[in-house]
Order: sequence, then C-alpha cells, then structure tokens
Amino acid sequence: MVKLLIIEDDEAAAGSLKRGLVEAGYAVELAHDGERGLQQAQAGDHDLWVIDIMLPGRDGLSVLKTLRDQGRRTPALILSALGKVDDRVEGLRVGGDDYVVKPYAFDELLARIEALLRRVRSFGSGPETMLELADLKMDLLSRNVTRGGQEIDLQPREFRLLEYLMRHAGQVVTRTMLLENVWEYFFDPQTNVVDVHISRLRQKIDKSFATPLLHTVRGRGYILRPEA
Amino acid sequence: MFGVWLSLVLLLCLLGGVAGFWWLQRRRQQQKEALLRRQLVSVTQSSRQTGDNIAHDLRTPLTRLRADVEDALRHDDSEMHRATLERVLDEIQNMQNIVNALLALSQAEAGVMRVRKKTVDLSGLLEELIELYIPSAEERQLTLQGRIAPNLNIEADRQLLARIFANLFDNELKYVPAGGTILLTALASGPHVEIRVEDDGPGIPVEMRDKIFERFARLDPSRTLSGGSGLGLSLVKAFAQLLQGEVRVVESSLGGAAFILTLPASAAELSKPSP
Ligand SMILES: Nc1ncnc2c1ncn2[C@@H]1O[C@H](COP(=O)(O)OP(=O)(O)O)[C@@H](O)[C@H]1O
Ligand SMILES: [Mg+2]
Repeated sequence: MVKLLIIEDDEAAAGSLKRGLVEAGYAVELAHDGERGLQQAQAGDHDLWVIDIMLPGRDGLSVLKTLRDQGRRTPALILSALGKVDDRVEGLRVGGDDYVVKPYAFDELLARIEALLRRVRSFGSGPETMLELADLKMDLLSRNVTRGGQEIDLQPREFRLLEYLMRHAGQVVTRTMLLENVWEYFFDPQTNVVDVHISRLRQKIDKSFATPLLHTVRGRGYILRPEA
Repeated sequence: MFGVWLSLVLLLCLLGGVAGFWWLQRRRQQQKEALLRRQLVSVTQSSRQTGDNIAHDLRTPLTRLRADVEDALRHDDSEMHRATLERVLDEIQNMQNIVNALLALSQAEAGVMRVRKKTVDLSGLLEELIELYIPSAEERQLTLQGRIAPNLNIEADRQLLARIFANLFDNELKYVPAGGTILLTALASGPHVEIRVEDDGPGIPVEMRDKIFERFARLDPSRTLSGGSGLGLSLVKAFAQLLQGEVRVVESSLGGAAFILTLPASAAELSKPSP
C-alpha cells in the first residue's frame, strides 16, 4: 500500500484530506506540527510527503530543507497559503516536487499526488522513445503519432499535450496541470482555453475510431485510457 | 458529511473574515443598497467605494450561500443536499477567485509581489498566447490575428506578462460579439515596445476609459460573479506598473476598444542600431 505523510497543523483540513486519501486507497499518517512531522518523516518509509508551509514552530520549508539536506529524496508536495505567490518558487527551490495553493480542490491535490507517484515509479527506467496506449502510438524521436497504424497529424503543442496525457495515462489530469506542464503558465485564465485544445485533440485521435481514448471527467479534468 | 459541512463553515468564516476586514476598514456605510447600486452603475472613483464594492461582492454570494444552506438544512433530502453542496462549491470558487485577485492586486500595488525579471522573447510569448487562445476564439466565431514584430526582447517577468495578456484576451472573448475580429499588434517604438490588443466590438465609452481600470468597474452593472468581477483590468494595470510599463484604452480603428500596453524595451534591444 502506498504510504503518505501529511504534515498540516489545521486538524480539520488534515482530517478531511486524510479521509479522502484513504478512500482513494492510500495509507495516510498525519503530523500536526513541523517538529513532529520532521521526526515522522525521518522515521517512516513514506512514498510521498504532503507538507503545509505555514506550521507552528518549524515551518514546512525548513522541514523539507532539513530532510533534503539529509539526503532524503521522497517526493514532496507543498501546500501554501492563498495568494503567497512566491511560495511556489521557494517551495520548489528547497526541494519540493510540486505545489498546490490553499484552498485547493481535493481532486486537484489527488491528481497531483498521483502524478508525482507516477513520476517516481517511471524514474530510472531510462528515457523512453515510444509511448503506447492501446492502438495509439507516439514515437518521441521521429515525433510520429499513429492510431491503428493510421498516421495522425499533430501541431507541436498538440503533440506536447498528447505526450503529457500519455505519460499520465489512466490518471486524471486537471486543467491547471495541463496549463502548467504543457504551456508553462502558472495561473488560470478565466475562459476555457484548455478545454478547446482538448476537444481539438480529441477530434484528431478519437473521431474516426470505434473506442474513444480521451475522456472528460466531469468537474475534475481529463483522462486518457482505453475503456470509458 | 459532518466534515464537509465543517470545512464549509470554516471556509465561510475565512471568507466572511476577509469580507468583514475590508468592511470594517472602509466602514462609512451610510448608503444602503439603492445608493450602492447607483454608484455601481456610475462606477465612481472614491476609494471608499472600493471597500463597499468588495464587501458587496462578497456579501451578495454570502447571502445567497447562507439562504441556500439554511434551506437545505430544513429538509431531509439527500438529493437536495447534494445539489446545494454543488452550488455552494461553485459559489466558493467564485469567491475564491475574487479573494485571489484582490490579494494579487494588493500585493502588486504595495510592491511586495516579487517580480522575476529576465530577458523574455516577447514576440515568441505573444505568438504562444495567440496559439493558446485561437481555438477558443474560433469556437466563439471570432477571428484572432497577430501582427508581431520579430525579435522583441524585453526585461520582464514571463508569468506576469502572460497574465496581462490572458486577462485582455479573456475580455475579448467575453465582450466582442460573435463574428468579430481581435487584433494583436506588437512593435518596438523608441525605448519602448508597444503592444495593442484591439477589436471591433462595442468599445469603451470615452468617459469610462480611465475608470474601467479601477477595481470592480464594469460597463454592465448587472454583475454576475461567474461573468467576472471587474478585477481583470485592475490587475492588468497593476502588473503593467510592476513591469515599469503602463496601459490605457482608446478607440480602435477597427471600431471597438484598443488596449495599449507600453513596456520598456530591454537594454539589449536599445543598444541595437535602429533599422
Ligand atoms: N474589449 C472590450 N470591449 C468592450 N468592453 C470591455 C472590453 N474589455 C473590458 N471591457 C469592459 O470592462 C469591464 C472591466 O473589465 P475587467 O476589469 O476585465 O472585469 P470583468 O471582465 O471581470 O468584468 C468589463 O466588465 C467590460 O464591461
Ligand atoms: Mg475581465
């Protein structure tokens, strides 16, 4: 079972977060202040840490920095207070792997936890040259994309979008994740720009095929997978 | 279920706190809804009104939320509870957007927002943003065109720049009727670069051209939160100033609004011999 440690002083928030993550199939340990969080992180063998920045006593950035200085490489997702724009950069600088602003949507956090765990699992398997999902194939070297042997013509950005979706196949990705990873924008526009790119991509990869691969998960984001 | 309600209540307290804070700060509340309405329509410029508007903007959804939740609690109907929770969540998202924008605005205006200036390939960034927005524009039967001079480099923060143009483009998508044209022009002009975002839509009346950059200013006073809360252009202005630039709106030769942003060109750009 995948083990998570959440270091978050707001017990109500930590409690609902824990409940959600347990329902999603994770084993979850809680720590309510920085000092204890640090000890638990050092003592345990967690697969991922969720660390709030604002903690009583020792703050989250200091906890993470200490852990990193000790050579611990466990992926860490940082939670920060609303509106602290610099926290993202700070958090990534001390060794955070991803970052979510409070108040966050649970689905956003879950999607990012899954993406981080996935990244770690595929790490070390060497650079991939070929991505495959059912009859959809993407050659990262020749930049050739085919479905059922039929060539699909993609714009460069559509290629990046599909590549990201294929690397996270079977997993929900949110609009914000797509904006950050495919376009490198760290803010959310007011209009549905990403949705329209998705529907264009869907036209290309799904339209003339019997089984759709790119699905919308209502209220959450998108998922690429062979079954509905 | 209790957890959901508990976190809801906590969030409401938080948002209520924010609203209350602003409310207390700007308290002079002699005028009630009627006057407030009238002021909103005319979008006058007093700073007192800023506070009133913030309170108003947060109080309206709070009132709605409260009525909705109380109504749900009076009934023992899980389907109704679910529908209520979904509405509540939407409303919270709207309020969160307002609070986020206000925080960004006050940080930008107070100069505490850190600006990460680097040499940015402005021409490339603008092309990218057009590419990001073109499908949405086409979906709304709008033509989005760029006339971007090549190799415009400036010292700026890429994220702030992108947020400026995203806000302007979001407005174009919202306010230019179907069939319309949006044109983005960028060129070097002496020690500056000038970027214009213009359209053939309804435009901004002369008397509103300064006011429209103020917080909560909207031409259409029937303010639905989901349509935006009138903070976009104030963010544009604050971010432009953070980048030592400025923004204004004039009438476009296309017939609609032309938003003109001037930014200092980079040192490298300046030292290049002019063509
Ligand atoms: N391109 C445009 N054409 C006509 N009106 C516009 C345009 N851009 C902005 N406006 C007007 O300016 C107002 C303020 O814009 P903004 O600050 O972005 O707030 P919001 O979009 O949330 O209403 C809008 O409500 C709209 O009335
Ligand atoms: Mg706007």
